[in-house]
This record gives sequence, C-alpha cells and structure tokens, in this order.
Amino acid sequence: MVSKKSRHRDPLIIRTPEGLYCPKARAHIDPWRPVDCALITHAHADHARAGSKHYHCALGGEGLLTKRLGQHIIEPHPYGESFSLGDVQISFHPAGHVLGSAQIRLDDGESVWVITGDYKRDLDPTCQPFEPVSCDVLITEATFALPIYRWPSMDQVMDQLFGWWDHHVRNRRTPVLLCYSLGKAQRIMAEIKQRSDRSVQVHGAVANLNIEYEKQDVELCPWQRASESDKGVSTDLIIAPPQVAGSSFLKRFHPTELAMASGWMQVRGVRRRSAIQQGFVVSDHADWNSLIKTVKQSEATKVYATHGETRVLTRYLNEHLGIASERLETAFGIEDGVDQ
Amino acid sequence: MNFIQLFQMLDTNQSTNAKRSALVEFIETAHPLESALAIEALTGRRERRQLKPSLLKQAAYQAFADESWLFDECYAAVGDLSETLAILLADQEAVSQTEDPVLAQWQACQRELSKKEPDALTSELLGLLSVMSRDEAFLFLKLSSGGFRVGVSKGLVHDAIARAIDMDRAVIEERMMGAFIPDEDWLNRLKEPVTQNELDARPLPFLLANPLSESDVLELDPTGVAVEYKWDGIRAQLIKTHETIRLWSRGDQDITEQFPDIIEAATTLPSQLILDGEILAGSPEQLQTFNELQTRLNRKRITQNLLKTNPAFFKAYDLLRFDGEDMRTRPLTVRKDTLSQLNVIQSQVIYPASHQDIQTMRLTARAEGAEGVMIKDRQSTYVGGRKTGHWWKWKLDPMTADCVLIYAQAGHGRRASLHSDYTLACWNQNNELVPVAKAYSGLTDAELKTIDQWIRKHTLQKFGPVRQVEAVQVFEIGFEGIARSTRHKSGIALRFPRILRWRQDVGPQDADHLSHFETLMSDSNAV
Repeated sequence: MVSKKSRHRDPLIIRTPEGLYCPKARAHIDPWRPVDCALITHAHADHARAGSKHYHCALGGEGLLTKRLGQHIIEPHPYGESFSLGDVQISFHPAGHVLGSAQIRLDDGESVWVITGDYKRDLDPTCQPFEPVSCDVLITEATFALPIYRWPSMDQVMDQLFGWWDHHVRNRRTPVLLCYSLGKAQRIMAEIKQRSDRSVQVHGAVANLNIEYEKQDVELCPWQRASESDKGVSTDLIIAPPQVAGSSFLKRFHPTELAMASGWMQVRGVRRRSAIQQGFVVSDHADWNSLIKTVKQSEATKVYATHGETRVLTRYLNEHLGIASERLETAFGIEDGVDQ
Repeated sequence: MNFIQLFQMLDTNQSTNAKRSALVEFIETAHPLESALAIEALTGRRERRQLKPSLLKQAAYQAFADESWLFDECYAAVGDLSETLAILLADQEAVSQTEDPVLAQWQACQRELSKKEPDALTSELLGLLSVMSRDEAFLFLKLSSGGFRVGVSKGLVHDAIARAIDMDRAVIEERMMGAFIPDEDWLNRLKEPVTQNELDARPLPFLLANPLSESDVLELDPTGVAVEYKWDGIRAQLIKTHETIRLWSRGDQDITEQFPDIIEAATTLPSQLILDGEILAGSPEQLQTFNELQTRLNRKRITQNLLKTNPAFFKAYDLLRFDGEDMRTRPLTVRKDTLSQLNVIQSQVIYPASHQDIQTMRLTARAEGAEGVMIKDRQSTYVGGRKTGHWWKWKLDPMTADCVLIYAQAGHGRRASLHSDYTLACWNQNNELVPVAKAYSGLTDAELKTIDQWIRKHTLQKFGPVRQVEAVQVFEIGFEGIARSTRHKSGIALRFPRILRWRQDVGPQDADHLSHFETLMSDSNAV
C-alpha cells in the first residue's frame, strides 16, 4: 500500500493553462491545447483535442481517437498494464463511458492519483464495465451530481423507446432519436440488437463511428446510412446527432417525430425548452448514487470534482461523508450546469 | 385510458391533431367520472389548493432530514416543486398503470390529507409517494397544489368534447361556460336540451379584438368604424335574469361575490339583459390602477372597509341581450344606440370622419387612464372568439426605460436551470442602482442562452438560486403603467414589465435614472 504521509509534498497533478498536468511524468491529461505528451481518457471532443506530439490511450480507443484527431502518434495500452513516464507508473482502467474510455491511474511511489474522466457504472454492451480503482486522491467528474439524477434501468427505457417508436410508425410519422454520435448512438443500437431484430437508419456522423465499433466486434443492430434510403416516412428509427433538429437532413423523412436520449431528459423543463417532444433518460455519465459509490470504493482521502455540479458534490462529501473534497475549476470558465 | 396516459400523450405530442385525437379517445373510453375530473383540471377549473407548497416543501425536508440544502439544490435545478418531489420520492421502478381511473381516488386522498395536522400529513404523503410511479406522483402533486398545466387550450378541449359526442362545437362552448359539475353525468348533461332559464344565466362567448399597428389603421375606412378608449380593467359580462344578477369574467369565473357594489348598482336595470364591459377600479371621475382591482379579486371576503378603499364600477360598451332578445346578430351601431338609452355607466364612443379623429382619440388615451383605443366595425355582429374584421385594439406604445441587470434567477418550467428571470435596476439620486422591475420574457432563446452563459461567468454572489451579477448588461424594458409602491426600494411599481431588447450598444452608465420614471408617472393620469 502506498504511503499517505507528507501532506506538504508537491501534488502529483497540478492545473496549468493547458489542463491537468503531471510534472513528474511530463504529461498532460486531456489537454485542451497542443502539448508534448497527452494522456487521453476518451475520444469525445471536449477531452481529445488535436495537435499534441504524442498521445497515450487505452487499447480499443485508438481507432476512435484516430477518427477524431486525424493522423497523430497514438500509443494504446491494454487496460490494467502499467507503463512509465519519468518516475511515474501509469495505467488505464475501464471507465464504462464509451468504447475505449479509461480512468487514468498515476503512481509515483509516494501516492496514487486516479482521474476518472467521464464514466458510468451501468452496464453498456459497447464497452468494458467500470472497474473501481483504489487511490489516495481521486479526481472525479460531477456532471450529474444531484440526487434528481437517478438513471432508470435500460429495460425500462427500451420498453418506452419501442412503444414510442411503434406509436409513431402507426401514425405514419418517422421516429427520430437524437443523441451523441459517439457512444450513445452505438449503445442504443447494441441494446436494440439484444432485444429485437429491428433496424435503424443513421446520420453520416453516426455511420462513420459505427464502422469503428464493428471493427472492435461490438454487435450493433442492422443499420443503413439515412442518405442512402428512400424518401418518405420511415418505419426504421432514424438515429442522428442533436444538431440535425431543424436542418434539411430531416426533410426526406417528413413528417418526423423527435426524441432525445440524454441524462438531461430527466427534467421536464429541459426537454420542453429544447423543443423536443419525447425524452429518454439514457446517460453515459454516472448518476448521483454511482458518483457516491465510486468515491467510497476508491477509498480516496482527498477528492477533487470537475465538470458539472461540482459545488454540490464537494459539499456533500465534506459535510455528510467526511471526505475532504474541493472543486477543480476548469479553465473553460464555465462554472456549472452547462456541460456536454 | 386513464388520466395518466392522457397526460403522457398530451405532454409528448407536438401536433394539435395528435393532442385532439388523444383527448377524443380519452373522453370516449375513460370512466365518466375520470373524464369529468380530467376536464375540470384541463379547463383550469381546479383552483382549490388542497396541499400548500409550503407543506410539500416540509415533506421534502422531512425526507431529506439533515440534507435539506441538497433538496433546495435539486429544486433549483428542476424548477418545479411537484416534479422535484416526484423524481426524488416516487418509486423509480414503478410503471404507471394507464387504464383504471385514478382521479377520484386521488381527490379523496387529497381531502383526507388536507384534514390532517401538518406532521401527520407530511409522513402520510411521503408514504403515498413512495408507492407511486414518477408520473403518478407528479400529477398527484400538481393537481393537489393547484399548479397543473399542460399544453392544451380550452378551445381544444371543447372541440374534442364536441367530436367525442358528435355535437356542434359552438353549442359545447356555450354549455361549457360557467360552472362545471364534475360527476358521472357530465356528458349526458351536455347532450341534453337546455332550458331557456339555464341559458339566460350563462355568459356568452366573448368577442376578442385583434391588435393593429399604425399602418393597419391607415388602411381602415374611418367612416366604417366606431372608436372608443381601451380600458385596463377586468373584461366581464353583467347578466341580469328575472331572478339573479351575475358577473362573469372572461376566464369563465363567476366573480359576482367579489363586486357587491357593481351588483347593487345593477338592481335598477331591466331584467333579461347582458352587458359586455370592463370592471374598473375607483370611480368614473377618478380611476385607480389595475393593482387596486387585483386586491378585490384576491380577497375571499369583501368587507365594507374594502369597498370604501377599493371601490369598483362597471363600464359597459356592448349589449348582448336586451329584454330577452339576443342582440348579437344586430349591427354594432344598433347595439350602441340601445345601450345609450340604459341608465348605466358606459364607454364614450365616437364615429370618426377621418384617420385624424382616430389619432386624436388615441393621443388622449393616456390622460384618460386608458391603454389605447378600440376600433370596431360599425356593422359588425357580436361573435365569440378572436374573429377578424370585427374589433381591433390599437394600444399605446409602451413606456420604456433602459435598465441594468443586477440579479438573475433560473426560470421555471420550460426555462428551468436557464437564468431567465432578471431583476433590473435604474440609478437613484445617490448614484446607486435600485431595482425597479423583474422581467421574464421578450428575449429569444438564443439570446437567453448567451446571457445565461455570461451570468454564470460574472456572478458576484449567490443567494440560493439567485445570482448577483456584475452591473454591465443593459436592457430596454417596456411597461404599461407606473404606480407608487411602498414595497419596493425604488418607491415605484411597473405594470406588466417585459424586456423589449438587449442593449449591447450602451453601458450601465447610460441606463435611466429614477427621475425618468417620475416624469412618465406625472404624464399619466391614473396614479
């Protein structure tokens, strides 16, 4: 076990204008400006940015990363296998967020830090399940750190989705599900596959990523590019990123009925504001109970919270669980509540 | 189908057609008592609050024990008390049953609950919620606390009823006016032939005006219209039958009891009569502001003292029934002439010869305490609804001022967790910013979003959900009137303030001073 002695010692990870940085390893974590060495938790745009000289990621995530960043030097590492940078032992551990997503563990022999990146605890057929990693200091996301965020079971959500889908097909309207093209779209398609022989049509942005998932042997339901389908009302579900709402993409399927799959759909006002009629509560982030469970399982004595409801999580940890906790402001300057 | 399924369909369908067919299916298939109670709720008739919001909050605090701050955070993010409780306290795994009636049972539950002492009530409520599905809990709480709203208009409900029982919509509209008794016989009663006496005591559908702009007015033939002031009061029908005198507001509310002075004054009128007009505060010689009327509406008991401090009167401008005869098919001029022979306070009307006459009338409106002019086709009949070509309203331009944003708060409902409620301030003599208005609307969704981001980055202090922000952003606000107020630090209260535009072209130093409002106030008569 690692010693937890010297509190005055320099922290293993610090904040810099480029993002989180480990001076001893000379590596940044999910930097938002080009750096020499970047450790990447996952391929979403707010975590993986182009222009750095050298990237490390979890094995399985390098394909998506290449799709997102273009040609860069990307070094994949199998989950749980450590490698050294300077005097620091580094390893990637499954985060359960999207394909190839990882928590990053850094160990300099004095203390162990874990950066969760984005994660969830619910099972997802498209990626390896989250593995708890014990540490001294935990840096956790807090996107949905409020007790109102409790995710329903996927069985419940898929029942709703199929009911909604059939209802609108009966009324001769094309059902369109809006969701993130990386991760959420494939997760929904894999869940469809496990429950039915239904097929979907997808936006180009989704199609390109589907190919990458299928390369990694993730089983998706039958799909086709929406641009290659016949015009008119479709009985297939259309899966597309949220940006297509109000765009010409939807015209060919007119009349359409829009739904959104997101954790934010938990609140009725949020759904109504986005002019979406139906919301499905599906999130690739940890809900309130998962966040608390993860903090407890990490056995960390110090917790930093980043992204989202950091104020609520840190106050709860400090006041009710007696775990020393602080907010880690991001340099985006966005204070709270408006995360992706 | 039951009410829960109806709500789900109304809440998740965009098109009016889909909503209408959901309503029709519901009326046709639901238990008649379920549909009766649902119609009562959907037409906004269930105003009785069985459970106060403060009690709901108390229940939540009880559930959260020593983590009450955490509940407050949740409420701030959700923006709706009932929804917050439903998310947090209902059984997440429970699936709503969508067949058997629920409303009668809920109503009985609410009655039982409301008889209990607060502590027993909250414990019982928590137990109840814990076995409900989220939608059940949400609807139960919404209906109990008097805040139920879903995106269907009364007109749509009436239309659906008419289709469900295959009757003329106009007949349904008229029969749905006034009191509604939510029992199993409601549909049968709607199908029955109505007695003359019943009909006599009911208000008729109101004729509503369409807004006009100056250029629209210039296109009208002035010799074809009648013009009168547009009064800022409560639109109402005064109905006198052989037996009773009733006062009905446009919101289908019987407000007879709130205005004994108006009823008293109407005793000398002939019976079998319906007048259309405006309830105004004060006296014809000295008008008071709309705020004074509000006081009357909000009181349960109207005391002699209140009648003295807040007098009200009825200003008639149309005659819908006279001596038992339906006057609505007669042209406006005939109705006006007959009205002028009655001994009632009535709105002065002019028959303009030119556009100039209309302009002149409008220019004097503010000094008369009116909010613009009404222009009416001289030959028009009186029909219910917002029909084009009958009545128009040409309002005064609102008074305006440039104010500085100093506090922002997340909105409710559609605007939950978006900072859309602004407190705006102007400068006083000591060069301090003092709040003059809270304004909610007027910006586009895109502007709201941009400002929301700005607010989050420029917060000086947080007081619960309220953020004090840097005094930088200037907004032009419009409002319909100013009254003195002892409640506000600035000493004034604005009527119907709203944001007209975001003034990115000026800085806070350019915002208006309190003296600007003083000047506006002395220009208008009604203070």
